[in-house]
Amino acid sequence: MHHLEAVAVGVINHKIAQIKVCVPSQSENITDRQASLSVTDSSATSALQALTSAALLLPGLLLMPSKAVSEDTVSMQYSFYKEGERELYNVPNTRTTISADTFHLSSQVSLKDRIKFAFDYTQDTWSGATPVTTSPLVAGGNNPVFENSDEGVTVVGASPIINSRMLMNHELTPLEQDPITGEILGTNTQLVHVLSSASPETRKQADFNLAYEWDAATINLGGGLSLENDYHSYYGSMGGLWNLNEGLTTLKAGLSYNWSETQAIIDHDAAPYITKTAYADQIEFRGGSEILQGNKQDWSTNIGLTQILNKTAFIDINLGYIHSSGFMENPYKTTAIVFIDPETISPNPEVPIVGDVRAFLEQRPDKRNQVSLSTKLVQYIDPLNAAVHLGYQYSHDDWGVDAHTFDAEWVQPLGRGWTLTPNFRYYSQNSANFYQPYLTSEQAFSKNAVDEQGREIWIDASDPESGVEYFRDEHFNLVDSNGEIVDESVLNIKNKTAPFNPELLPDNFSSDHRLSGYGTISAGFTLSKQLTRGLTIQGAFNYYNHAGSLKLGGGGENNYANFDSYSANAAVIVDINALGGYDSHAEHDAHAQHSGHTAPAGVMYSHMLPKANDIMVGYRYMYGRKAGGVLHGTESVSDQAVVNNGCSDETQCRFIQPYMEMNMHMVNIMYAPTDWLNLMIMPTFIDMEMNLRELDGRPPPVDGVHEHTGIGGHTTGGVGDTIISSLFKLVDQSGHHLHLGLGVSAPTGDVDLEFRRIARENGSIVHFAMQLGSGTWDFLPNLTYTGAYNDWSWGAQLKAEVRMQSENESGYRLGNELQTSVWGAYKITSWLSGSIRGIYSTQSAIKGDFNTFSGRVGPMDFPANHGGHFGDIGFGVNASIPSGSLVGNSFAFEWLQPIVDNVNGYQIQRQGALTASWSYAF
Amino acid sequence: MKVKKILLFFSCMMLLNCSAVKPWERGHLAKPQMALDPHPLQSKNRAHHYGSREAGAASNASSGGGGCGCY
Repeated sequence: MHHLEAVAVGVINHKIAQIKVCVPSQSENITDRQASLSVTDSSATSALQALTSAALLLPGLLLMPSKAVSEDTVSMQYSFYKEGERELYNVPNTRTTISADTFHLSSQVSLKDRIKFAFDYTQDTWSGATPVTTSPLVAGGNNPVFENSDEGVTVVGASPIINSRMLMNHELTPLEQDPITGEILGTNTQLVHVLSSASPETRKQADFNLAYEWDAATINLGGGLSLENDYHSYYGSMGGLWNLNEGLTTLKAGLSYNWSETQAIIDHDAAPYITKTAYADQIEFRGGSEILQGNKQDWSTNIGLTQILNKTAFIDINLGYIHSSGFMENPYKTTAIVFIDPETISPNPEVPIVGDVRAFLEQRPDKRNQVSLSTKLVQYIDPLNAAVHLGYQYSHDDWGVDAHTFDAEWVQPLGRGWTLTPNFRYYSQNSANFYQPYLTSEQAFSKNAVDEQGREIWIDASDPESGVEYFRDEHFNLVDSNGEIVDESVLNIKNKTAPFNPELLPDNFSSDHRLSGYGTISAGFTLSKQLTRGLTIQGAFNYYNHAGSLKLGGGGENNYANFDSYSANAAVIVDINALGGYDSHAEHDAHAQHSGHTAPAGVMYSHMLPKANDIMVGYRYMYGRKAGGVLHGTESVSDQAVVNNGCSDETQCRFIQPYMEMNMHMVNIMYAPTDWLNLMIMPTFIDMEMNLRELDGRPPPVDGVHEHTGIGGHTTGGVGDTIISSLFKLVDQSGHHLHLGLGVSAPTGDVDLEFRRIARENGSIVHFAMQLGSGTWDFLPNLTYTGAYNDWSWGAQLKAEVRMQSENESGYRLGNELQTSVWGAYKITSWLSGSIRGIYSTQSAIKGDFNTFSGRVGPMDFPANHGGHFGDIGFGVNASIPSGSLVGNSFAFEWLQPIVDNVNGYQIQRQGALTASWSYAF
Repeated sequence: MKVKKILLFFSCMMLLNCSAVKPWERGHLAKPQMALDPHPLQSKNRAHHYGSREAGAASNASSGGGGCGCY
């Protein structure tokens, strides 16, 4: 549903943008007649260009960049989300709160005049503590975790308790007891969220949309997928819009289908304490883990209308309907059910009732129908050249959730390319009809089974399924059903238990606070600045506050569920279309012929911008994989050799990674203040994945030492180190070019990532190679020579990475690196060239060691097993778009094939690396 | 379907009222600040945060393609 809206929005923007091309912001200077000409003929691109070129001759328009939303844009965005601490009442909350890093790449291009293609890629990595259930405070919830310190034993955190006992009075109000004397202190109805931490997890999403445009209508087809370890989702959508009434009215309609699959690994440490009987058919046991499976389907449809009201206002109205069926639970959320055995209730109302608190996987309905209405008014504020956007949305569903949203934005251009947009939003919902913070059930969770005569039933624990039942006679002898005495010493006797009756529980229940009644207020601003034609940077900040008391009309959930969060992001938006059309061809030919442009994709700092004030924006994707056998130097070694020698004298190795993968996204912005100096900044975004397997011949597990178990691998991700560099032109003769690069790498990537705390044990620091940066300020000198003759070009580069600090915050520093590359390239056609490259690199081992607890499970956790001498051969392809509206765009790919591995210590083999890059110079 | 009737009524009213805005009078409407979604990157970002935190359909990003992101 939401996606469809977004599609329609994109096309509307585009339509308005088309009008915009003919009416630049200085439109007052153009005659009405000129503007109307092109507005009514949206397909006459060449006529339009002629017109705008003519307009360019008018003074005042010459330097006027088009500020409209362009048809052809590439944008890259980094966002950060962080939640505030949640109140735990009885223990300090020292858990790291939820935080998420998101990288978003978005592009829209015109493949042909009438065909538009949009592609989006999003990647999130998040970690931190999240509520897994709600509990009465007197039932424990979060137990204190103690640690010895210089000041004695201190509480360092909280560990989740999901099964416990609690006392209640005869009105079932929880009673608080003195923890030492057991004296009852009175009633206490305080609730608390029980938190559990998660190790970092990554989600990747790709979306595409293809639109075909007629003069008055557009149809589009879209699709995409979102993948994370435990949740896969795929969708397809189609939509259309029709412009009627001379473009004053736009009708929209869309349909989408979404299929999602949950494969949730139930928390290994909590699984034994969670009651999952309702999902027995959906749980699979694999590799020592319990995996809860479920599928969900959603059909959504919407119709909408955008109507221009007058010269300064329009409205947008949408009606939506979503039908969902299948598994809609959050597989990690449990609901506390307090079992009260009626037989244990004393007739004396002064004697408290003992409740048996049990955690159940939540049970939501398997059908949901939602309807929504959204309306928006956009009004131009003439004296301020601003626009106000006012929205209201209502939604209703058959779970009983009614929601109202009011939002407002004020878009204020400030001149000189600045735009400031404050925004405000209020949201309120009432609770789902099956929402309960916790439940009580008047039955025993489990009790000893009795026969018709009231005798306790006994069974043989060694063979519980046999169906043979035993009893005790008056002398406590064990007898069979015929009353014959049996020899108890040959049996493993235990009471037969009768479980709770699920019929006595509600069909559906959830204590997920997202289904409770509450309100939220959020406010923030977006600031954007157009730096130059076609290049805009944007930043935004948003604060969000969730509180039961903010619910419309009152009656929301209590304070314990309140939380707040903030998000901040920064984006670079490149407008290809606006530039491509304006730029002279000659300039781009010069670019294309520049030898630097045919350097292989994996060579960084290979190219200098030719003229002062030139700008280049680029994106580089790098992938690397290690897998397979273990090397010691250049030799393959057995598992046993790794166990014995790969770790340390005191410790034998237990695990090794069967594979490790790294993905890196790098944004590159380059600017030439003079023709001999280039400045560049390169933020990076990384995610990594590793799995572990037990080494053959490993030492047996030690009691009390927690080990990686189950089938889950682990991931890390987020912002990597940021490179800030300069390039100095040394020689620039025909055919030969030499430049020197001096740069630094700023330690913006985390080096203190930890696995989640398990049970009451603090989490270990994640392996060296899975940390996101070096943690130190590094010096990056490099020297590059490039040459070209006719269709041939070649180059060589010497590049180093020198750590400028002796250790990072986690106590170690990565080894220094030196890399030499030599390459040659041949231009196959005017726009395509192929390259081959030889690379030799060397890196020393890690110096120092972790200054915090590390699990040290295998060779990757020891500093000596890092670095080495490596030789690779690279095969590359480069393409530059020579003409048309996308001129100036270059694409390059390079695959690095390892040839020589001579590793320090014990390491797994490298399988290769891919680099793909896009750059756009103007 | 009261809602639809209301919608239809409004649509008709608008069609009658608005025909006065000629294409060459749409300069203000064409400004970037007047785009239906002036900051698509921002709205997508926020929709994802709201969608993973709220149950209402209007902002529930997880129900229409695009995965859970249920942190």
